[in-house]
Amino acid sequence: MKTSFAVFLRRNLAFAKLAIVSNLEYRLNYFVDAIVQPTLTTGIEMLLWVAVFAGATSAEIAGFTREYYLSYALWGAFFARICTSWMYEFRMIQEIDSGSVNSLLVRPMTFYEYYFSQLMGYKFITTLVSMVVPVMVVLAFRLPTHFERLPLAFALEFYYLILVHSISFVIASCAFYLNKVYSFTGAKNLALWLFTGELFPLDLMPEPLKSFVIALPFSAGVYVPVGYLTGRLEVASVTQAFISITVGLVVVNLLGAYMWKKGVNVYTGTGA
Amino acid sequence: MMATLKKYFSLYLALFRTSFIADLEYRVNFLTRIATDIFWYIAQILTFEVLFRHTPKIGDWNLEQMRVFLGVMFVVDGLYMIILSENLDQFSEKVRKGDLDLLLAKPVNSQFMLSLQKASTAMIGNLMLGTAWFIYALVSLPQFEWLRLLWLLVLIPCGLVALYAMRFVMASTAVIFARSENLQFIWYQIYRLGMRPDSIYVPWFKWMILTVIPVGVIASVPSRALLEPPQWGLFAWAVVLAGILIYLSNKFWKFALKFYSSASS
Repeated sequence: MKTSFAVFLRRNLAFAKLAIVSNLEYRLNYFVDAIVQPTLTTGIEMLLWVAVFAGATSAEIAGFTREYYLSYALWGAFFARICTSWMYEFRMIQEIDSGSVNSLLVRPMTFYEYYFSQLMGYKFITTLVSMVVPVMVVLAFRLPTHFERLPLAFALEFYYLILVHSISFVIASCAFYLNKVYSFTGAKNLALWLFTGELFPLDLMPEPLKSFVIALPFSAGVYVPVGYLTGRLEVASVTQAFISITVGLVVVNLLGAYMWKKGVNVYTGTGA
Repeated sequence: MMATLKKYFSLYLALFRTSFIADLEYRVNFLTRIATDIFWYIAQILTFEVLFRHTPKIGDWNLEQMRVFLGVMFVVDGLYMIILSENLDQFSEKVRKGDLDLLLAKPVNSQFMLSLQKASTAMIGNLMLGTAWFIYALVSLPQFEWLRLLWLLVLIPCGLVALYAMRFVMASTAVIFARSENLQFIWYQIYRLGMRPDSIYVPWFKWMILTVIPVGVIASVPSRALLEPPQWGLFAWAVVLAGILIYLSNKFWKFALKFYSSASS
């Protein structure tokens, strides 16, 4: 039992390392992906908040000053970059769509864990590299940030990534039944974009929409960790987010397991 | 000249018809693409609707005016998605797989073929939704002068041409660099600058997005024509700029082709 767990860990660590090495192979591409893109997004969002406060009649919105919102926009763009999965979801769909999933089905590991470890490896290195930017900006402009809260915020973010991957697994499983499911990824990511809180803090929404959206596990992608990091939320919200992700994980993984099992049974391999 | 225009127009019609038939083949994909953009529209609308609950003005405009801006943006974006986006998004793929060889060998302009070969007819539904929002926004405006809509006949095509030329130049870099996917992703960030009204930016940056990286002419300039007294100089600049950009895109394409070495076997 102990040996098989060690093998499992070693194997998944190898997948994670593979993801890190293959992403760092094209350094310019990686630099653009991890640094330039979120920096530009941050700039655009921060400019919007400057304009919002320039037109506002008071110095505070929902009890927070301009600096809090600038800090939220800054961290929000980087957390959003971490909690979104495009590349690996596309690859998972492609494997099933093209038939090359055959070669994975016969290996001593699951399709889920193969891509999960790669996603985690990629997100780990991206977090490490890209977080340099918000940290430097926060220090330079003295934006409100509780650095001591970073570990818990990241723990929540990486727990949320398990849910993100599980959703990707469900979407990839759709490729067993339908052709051209790539557009599902776009639709899903845009819906999550709305529900994670990247665009604005979710508590600015009117009721009852606000309570509903915050209760969903997707708020753990950006709103809760960034809100906690910038002092907008307290630890109770983080605990609540951990619980809602857990519920989401159970539901999504049950659905994923069912769809995968049925899908493999109806699947006719076309790949080599 | 007229004969050439007629030839290209009928060629485009044929390409559009073929695209429509091809799009209908995958009906779920057809519907999901419409759904995807609905989420995008909701995200844009919700952002401003929520922000305006906490402030009376953003930049120069109030909520009603911002709705018009969003409407213009949805219409321009819808047209771009139907006519151009799929072609330009798959540009680097065509170069890498060697499909460009086939296009270069055809007896028609290669820039035309690369830019207009495939229409995304599924996006017609999105354009209709965007237009519906635009009409709603205009009707909600107190005392709107409907004759001002005539400005859009000039300014929306100018915005589209500017958008096309910038995107085409960005996509053409795929011919020069082997892997430029992430450079293409930078384009989406630049494009996002144009999805916000130019008045929210500080003066020097506003000047930048109307000249150096002119994403401001895509939706902000047509919206100004509807919402503010005519700014003749700005509108003339939008027309001139469209001409300059289309000329430069063609020059850049010819320059980029000098670096091209066939990828097909």
